[in-house]
Amino acid sequence: MSGAHSLDASLFINRELSWLAFNERVLEEAADPTNLPLERLKFAAIVASNLDEFFMVRVASLHHATGEGDEAPDVAGLTPAQQLAAVSERAHALVENLYRLVADHLLPALASAGVRIMGWQDLDRAQQAALGVLFRDAILPVLTPLAIDGARPFPLLASLSLNLALRLAPIDGHSGHRLAIVQVPSGLTRLVPLGAAGTFVLLEDVIAAHLAQLFPGQQIVEWACIRLARDAELELDDEGGRTQLEQVERGLRRRRQSDAVRLEINAGASTDLVDQLRAQLDLTPDEVYVVTGPLDLRVLMALTELPGLDALRDAPRQPVDVLADLRQADLFSLLDEQDLLLHHPYESYDPVVALVAQAADDPDVLAIKQTLYRTSIGSSFIESLQRAASRNKQVTVLVEVTARFDEERNIRWARALEEAGAHVIYGVHGYKTHAKICLIIRRTPQGLKRYVHLATGNYNERTARLYTDFGLLTTAPAIAQDATAFFNALTGYSDPPRLKKLVMAPTDLRRRFLALIERERHRAESGQPAEIAAKMNSLIDEEIIAALYAASQRGVRIRLNVRGICSLRPGVPGVSTNIEVVSIVDRLLEHARIYYFLNGGEDEVYLASADWMARNLDKRVELMFPVEQPDHKAKVLSALRAMFRDTTKGRWLGADGVYGRPGPAPGETPFRVQDYLYEQAQRTAALARRRTGVVLEPD
Amino acid sequence: MTDEATNPSPLPPAPPTTPAPELVAVLDMGASAIRLTVAEISAGGVIRTIEEASRGLLLGRDTFSGGVIRSSTIDATLLALENFRHILDGYGVRHVRAVATSAVREARNMDVFLDRVKRRTGIGFEIINEAEESRLVFLSVQRTLARNPALRGAWTLLAEVGGGSTSLTMLRHGQPNRSAVYALGAIRLRQQLDLRRLSHDVQLSLLNRSIANMIEEIRLDIPLSRVTQMVAIGGDMRFAASQILDAHADEGVKVLTRDAFLAFCEQVERLDEEQVIARFRLPAVEAETLVPSLLIYRTLLSETTAKRLVVVSDASLRAGVLLDVAEPGDRLSAEAFERQVLASAEAVGHKHRFDRAHGRHVAMLATRLFDAFQDDHGLSVRERLLLQVAALLHDIGIYISLRAHHKHTQYLLAASQIFGLSNEEMAIVSNIARYHRRRLPQHSHLPYVALDRDDRLIVDKLAAILRVTNALDAEHLQKVHDIRLLRHAKAWTLEITGTGDLTMEQLAATARADMFVETFGRELVVRPTGAQL
Repeated sequence: MSGAHSLDASLFINRELSWLAFNERVLEEAADPTNLPLERLKFAAIVASNLDEFFMVRVASLHHATGEGDEAPDVAGLTPAQQLAAVSERAHALVENLYRLVADHLLPALASAGVRIMGWQDLDRAQQAALGVLFRDAILPVLTPLAIDGARPFPLLASLSLNLALRLAPIDGHSGHRLAIVQVPSGLTRLVPLGAAGTFVLLEDVIAAHLAQLFPGQQIVEWACIRLARDAELELDDEGGRTQLEQVERGLRRRRQSDAVRLEINAGASTDLVDQLRAQLDLTPDEVYVVTGPLDLRVLMALTELPGLDALRDAPRQPVDVLADLRQADLFSLLDEQDLLLHHPYESYDPVVALVAQAADDPDVLAIKQTLYRTSIGSSFIESLQRAASRNKQVTVLVEVTARFDEERNIRWARALEEAGAHVIYGVHGYKTHAKICLIIRRTPQGLKRYVHLATGNYNERTARLYTDFGLLTTAPAIAQDATAFFNALTGYSDPPRLKKLVMAPTDLRRRFLALIERERHRAESGQPAEIAAKMNSLIDEEIIAALYAASQRGVRIRLNVRGICSLRPGVPGVSTNIEVVSIVDRLLEHARIYYFLNGGEDEVYLASADWMARNLDKRVELMFPVEQPDHKAKVLSALRAMFRDTTKGRWLGADGVYGRPGPAPGETPFRVQDYLYEQAQRTAALARRRTGVVLEPD
Repeated sequence: MTDEATNPSPLPPAPPTTPAPELVAVLDMGASAIRLTVAEISAGGVIRTIEEASRGLLLGRDTFSGGVIRSSTIDATLLALENFRHILDGYGVRHVRAVATSAVREARNMDVFLDRVKRRTGIGFEIINEAEESRLVFLSVQRTLARNPALRGAWTLLAEVGGGSTSLTMLRHGQPNRSAVYALGAIRLRQQLDLRRLSHDVQLSLLNRSIANMIEEIRLDIPLSRVTQMVAIGGDMRFAASQILDAHADEGVKVLTRDAFLAFCEQVERLDEEQVIARFRLPAVEAETLVPSLLIYRTLLSETTAKRLVVVSDASLRAGVLLDVAEPGDRLSAEAFERQVLASAEAVGHKHRFDRAHGRHVAMLATRLFDAFQDDHGLSVRERLLLQVAALLHDIGIYISLRAHHKHTQYLLAASQIFGLSNEEMAIVSNIARYHRRRLPQHSHLPYVALDRDDRLIVDKLAAILRVTNALDAEHLQKVHDIRLLRHAKAWTLEITGTGDLTMEQLAATARADMFVETFGRELVVRPTGAQL
């Protein structure tokens, strides 16, 4: 890190603020009137959900730092206290903008399409009466009102749960208002449908209207919805999920009543109520978010899924069915002839699913080894692996039991795999296994053959439709040997190997990246053209950023497509004028990791499971693999290059740390990379079909 | 990309009738690691590596310091092998060949250790001796050298520095001329010098001094100064090559210039173990061997005039074993093998200033006689070769003293290493040579009774032949050109043809037919061709 330390803090952007900037870009999409209403709503719900995670994880960790008196500045020169202050200011603005947008634009747009969330006052008598019955029969029995006094302390409210906070008038003989809490049951649907289709009332409003029944004989002075975010003891992983912190780290953290990091409360709550809650929760005024509108906007996601509103959402896009086009249902025969490089979701994920399924059923398959970092519930991968194990194939599965709230479910299917005879490994000690790789060993008349799938995305059929990722299906012997060695190392059967084609973290990946960047720099120094292009989710690693600055200063052209956090500051005179950073935020989550190096014309293209983040490079088991077949290289490169042409959803990061959207030049046709890649995939498939000739078959 | 063939040559497209390739596994238990290779051998003997695994285990650390493998190391070994067993079971490999070298060979608890291994994992390890090790290592580079004549010099030194020993083979125009294995290894040095508590500088100077001492000894056997080309194999060299060339060195041949290699050594020797680990991100086990092993290579290189160091990356003991499994005994054609064994034997003779003409002549006569009644004595070409070696070298004891020189010959040969001959075979050869004169085998002759029954029988038969044929050149003048054995029912006649008067030879041979008569139960009459009874 020595190189990074000599650099000025002003050359770095704080990661938390960069993360907030990413969510501002997502909010921009929610605000974009050219997007259809339900798509906009989805973006708004994503921002809300992201913010929840952010507070529970990142803000919580800044609190820990300040709590422990840590004053060490981050790479951008901000102490934890300064970061907290800056984050708070920007988060407040983000929340305010989010709520204003929802109230002023998104909900009205929905209403004009017939979808409404009604307030209690907007309901007629009949509707209120019907809800009264519902309350009595279905809601009241599951409510637990809690009055708070000297004998009954403030309850430990679950993080992110919705609650009603009440102030009750003093009882005779006592002075001062009392607090009471009613938890809004999480088991009941929050959108309570009214008679007319598309009309809802929120569960908390139904409860609020009947509070008197919960506190008979008492005077309710006021009520408000509240919601807490607590330290989740988790880390974010940029893959739409949370992962548990390391055991050691967790052991150091003490559960405290005061570990709330944010209080959300309805506008209209009195200062007294807010102050009383703050005192109970040990929160500063900055940590209170007063919002105009419903709390927990994740509820909007449910609205986006309502039937009958197709006109309000993007038409679903059918991925190219690669297997149908190749007219080869047997993947093994297909892969015996050619490697496949798939770009999801433009191209279907089916071949990956089918490969493991066929492996389970093929009597000649001896072994299947696979990593499962985060897979979908009811995943067909698990089903296939279980079937394979029960057929006495050697099945080795490396499971990363991470998502805390899914832990039990994860363990259940992992146990089922074990019972079927699979060798299940629950992670590698000290490292999370983030690599995405599957290896199948099969007997053929010519001897053993190995089929390998390597990818930038998880083995998850659901996210494969929403995330953009690359996957390579190959039988290349060098890769197969590396894959075998990789699994031997992970299962503890062998020492970590020296790999030929694959590059593995935490052992070699950081060094390799630095060497590749340095090689471009040397080329530039000797007067050759030099270029780096890369795509990733986050760019935070100091050492890599320092290497990129050094390369830029020697004239290496560097183009980075970083979707989320970017701590690198491009365009700084004398430092990073040759670096360009673009972020694409569009309907699909940009997720692939691509690394390109010109290498004096003998260019190299790599795909990886890792970002340029210290966590990926040092604390995880990751894999990077080369793309060597010329047509595959061209395919990856063309996708990567297209990222830098997006005049619709591309946001360029400026030297000031602000993202700008220049838009198309006058007279230029707007370019939107996700549309382009989709059309490109369809075109290529059509061309291929024409080449192979169309066969008409009777029904 | 879809062609799965790997080294050493592409898999030919197999016609459907070709039998499926056979899966084999080779394990090698060395001083610093246990390694596994799973490979396929197809009908043409083509080898395709499927999988390699290794576990760093410092068996040598135990053996070379305390003389025994400690129980904690045994447990770790058993665990590692059980894991390897899982790999083997995944493939259903049946054909397993497992070899162990010096760290096990020299451990006092070797038998108990290997027995536990066998019972726990079902893997039976075979201890191989130094000469066998050299032969197998040579096998693994032979093809590469044959394909690339440019990699060879007139005199090429093939060197492999391991954890326990250093194997050196001198190649004359690509053929092994002499070879030996020395107790000079990275782990062994560390243990013997007990380097742990010493400062890095002291460690270095101790290492260099011990290496220099050993090089003195090596120089006696191998004329290092004649070497014009050096070929190195082994993990540490592979690593050095990858660092120096900044490229993967897992496959093929890498050529390092002398200067580049020396510069790299200079850089590395300044680093202590911790720094080696940090700098190169090497596992601790490998970091421990890197410096001593590079120092050994460097010292060897600086003894030679070689301008460059050729690193053959895919060569190893395991690769040699695999080749041996693929075509046992066939990789080296019988003829080539014989030539190499004899060349190596002559090198031993040369070292002891033997009378080469006499040795060769006796060897010629002895094989003639051997061939003449092979159906009777029932011995094979392998024993024929042992006879040749014994005949070549039967007189080397004279180097010590003329008096009782047959006894000196015996122990000199027992301690010598000849390319391609195992320790057991050298024991046989040394006994054959011993009985070329004086007393016949006795129960009081320890080297003789140490042999098992079958081997004693071989010694009896071959020494009987050597005794007679050596007598035919008693004057070291090579007067007898040829012999013919006439087998009659009652007595056998050995007709000798030659230059001048052969009476002396006739008498001497008749006198030395004692063992022949005793062993084969036939009277042996020796007479010049044309002479009448």
